[in-house]
Amino acid sequence: MKDKVYSITFGGIGGQGVLKASEICSWAALFAGYHVKKSEVHGMAQRGGSVESHVRFGKRVYSPLVPTGGADFLLCFHREEQPRLSAFLKKDGVDLTEYVEKAGQAIENPRGLNTCLVGVLSARLPIQQEHWMKAIETVFKNKGVEENKKIFLDGRKMGQS
Amino acid sequence: MAKKSALNQALLSGDEALARGAYEAGLSVACAYPGTPSTEILETLAGFPEIDAQWSVNEKVAFEVALGAATAGARSLFACKHVGLNVAMDPLMTASYTGVLAGFVVVVCDDPGMHSSQNEQDTRWVSLYSKMPMLEPSSPAEAREFVKEAFAMSERFDTPVILRMTTRIAHTKENVTIGERQVPERPAFERNAAKYVMVPGHAYQRHILVEQRLVKLKTLAERTRLNRVEKGDGKIGFITSGVSYQYLKENYPDASYLKLGMSYPFCDDKIRAFAKSVKKLVVVEELDPFIEDHVKSLGVKVVAKDPSFRIGELTPELIPALVAGKAKQEQKVAKRKPRLCPECPHWASFAALKKIDAYVAGDIGCYTLACLPPMSALHSCLCMGAGVTFHEGWRKGAPGKCIVGVVGDSTFVHSGITGLINAAYNRTKGVIIILDNSTTAMTGGQQHPATGLTIRNEPTKKLVLEDLCRACGADNVDVVDPKNMVEFRTILEKRVHEDALSVVISRHPCKLLRR
Repeated sequence: MKDKVYSITFGGIGGQGVLKASEICSWAALFAGYHVKKSEVHGMAQRGGSVESHVRFGKRVYSPLVPTGGADFLLCFHREEQPRLSAFLKKDGVDLTEYVEKAGQAIENPRGLNTCLVGVLSARLPIQQEHWMKAIETVFKNKGVEENKKIFLDGRKMGQS
Repeated sequence: MAKKSALNQALLSGDEALARGAYEAGLSVACAYPGTPSTEILETLAGFPEIDAQWSVNEKVAFEVALGAATAGARSLFACKHVGLNVAMDPLMTASYTGVLAGFVVVVCDDPGMHSSQNEQDTRWVSLYSKMPMLEPSSPAEAREFVKEAFAMSERFDTPVILRMTTRIAHTKENVTIGERQVPERPAFERNAAKYVMVPGHAYQRHILVEQRLVKLKTLAERTRLNRVEKGDGKIGFITSGVSYQYLKENYPDASYLKLGMSYPFCDDKIRAFAKSVKKLVVVEELDPFIEDHVKSLGVKVVAKDPSFRIGELTPELIPALVAGKAKQEQKVAKRKPRLCPECPHWASFAALKKIDAYVAGDIGCYTLACLPPMSALHSCLCMGAGVTFHEGWRKGAPGKCIVGVVGDSTFVHSGITGLINAAYNRTKGVIIILDNSTTAMTGGQQHPATGLTIRNEPTKKLVLEDLCRACGADNVDVVDPKNMVEFRTILEKRVHEDALSVVISRHPCKLLRR
């Protein structure tokens, strides 16, 4: 298990904060001492197209892309994207898409949905809370760090229950 | 950056890591025109105050300014996407002859799978064609290391060095170690006509040196640690480069590898020796059979990939079929297509064009998306600037049709101006619409001469498009806000029926501007 590579597929459409979510996850893994690879495609995606980001971390990661049937977790922010992306999940992989609605109801500011869902995911990953906090500080810099930490912890609680 | 350097590691994309490595190598001048997936290289470099970074008008200009700086003694870098390199091919081919004084690195980002491009040309052929060395990193961490090697190689062998990335490396992030900046001593700038004045007599002598250089570079290719052998169980061996290496390692951890970090010139002896050390030899590379053709030319037996794999990007799950010599099984799943933002000013411009049922010669930018249904109001997209020149060509080829050319503001400055001068000079009539959203929107909103701001958002001399168009020879120049739909349509309808060359500047700023 020590050499296990964790693979997470994030998906949604432009403007939903998919890339930010995968960014938080990647920094947290880096702070926790893992080798991380995060793949994304920019450019036309921001014009409302499909957005997809893959995060893989472990002792040593080769492919930046999660192979079909290779994701431990799927976090999809948009229902229409879910059927396409579910092909990435392992047979025993966990689809966290069901939390999107739950998280949406729990938070006040809809812009925090991505952070909340990362919180849900965090409950299932071998990365300590302090590294997640540091990742949020790094990704949000001076804009909304405290608010996002709070939203993250709410999500983390949701994921633990 | 303070927090990150304390840790000595940062999560950087291939573009950012390459920029970081160039900064550490003492880079002083960097030029580019934006183009996905290469844009972030210059954006990152502009964050270092020690570096003279610029958005250039186009890639040819960028290449020449950067090469000029290198031949005057400053370590310089030019960055572009694959199709951008086409624009810079004229100076590039002769730069191989002139060589450099200080290091000069040409960074090209290819886009296999065309995530955001009009073709998927394989830039590795350019190294063969121009007789210049090429390095090919497989990850962001390697991009940082390789660019340092490239500067050293450029100075040692008196040549520009091409560093080729692909979208999957440019836009992958990974842990990258951060180092200190070390600026080498600047060589003295001197007049040297035999080296820098490429008249036939001088160029002949330089060509002799280019061929000698290639021989020396071949010797280097045999020795360099960039071409690495990883010994496996010997049953199967892979010759590979770029991101393909990563996908292979994922699928065949016990195989033998010859990983080519220097893709040109080839290390023939190493290739032959490696081939002998394995039972079965397979070349795995994205796009064209660049390595494969060369390995075959050495008389080495190799499993070639099916031609279907020359098209599109590789992914980890495609590898087993490729290695088995089978054809690619397309797994086409419909993705949500990009479209113009709901509040985009281009909608109004194209609605007016639709109303007059125009044949619209298009160009490259967000507005190319107007070709998609339900709008379906843009009917060509070839390359930068062709909205203006296709307009002229279509009018010659199909007289009597209602033909309008459209081009974005940044694209017009990049390579539409010459087309407009050509139209005026050759007595072309008709209407060119400059879709002026006052930014380079498609690549994420970069400045250009007509915005009046530099890459660092500092005020500078502003190019006034309406004055420029008049100077080029346009009979009429109107500036209209397309959101005033009635006014816009009235002017457009009037101009298309006139026997004159008209430019309509459809001006309304992009909503994504300076968020």
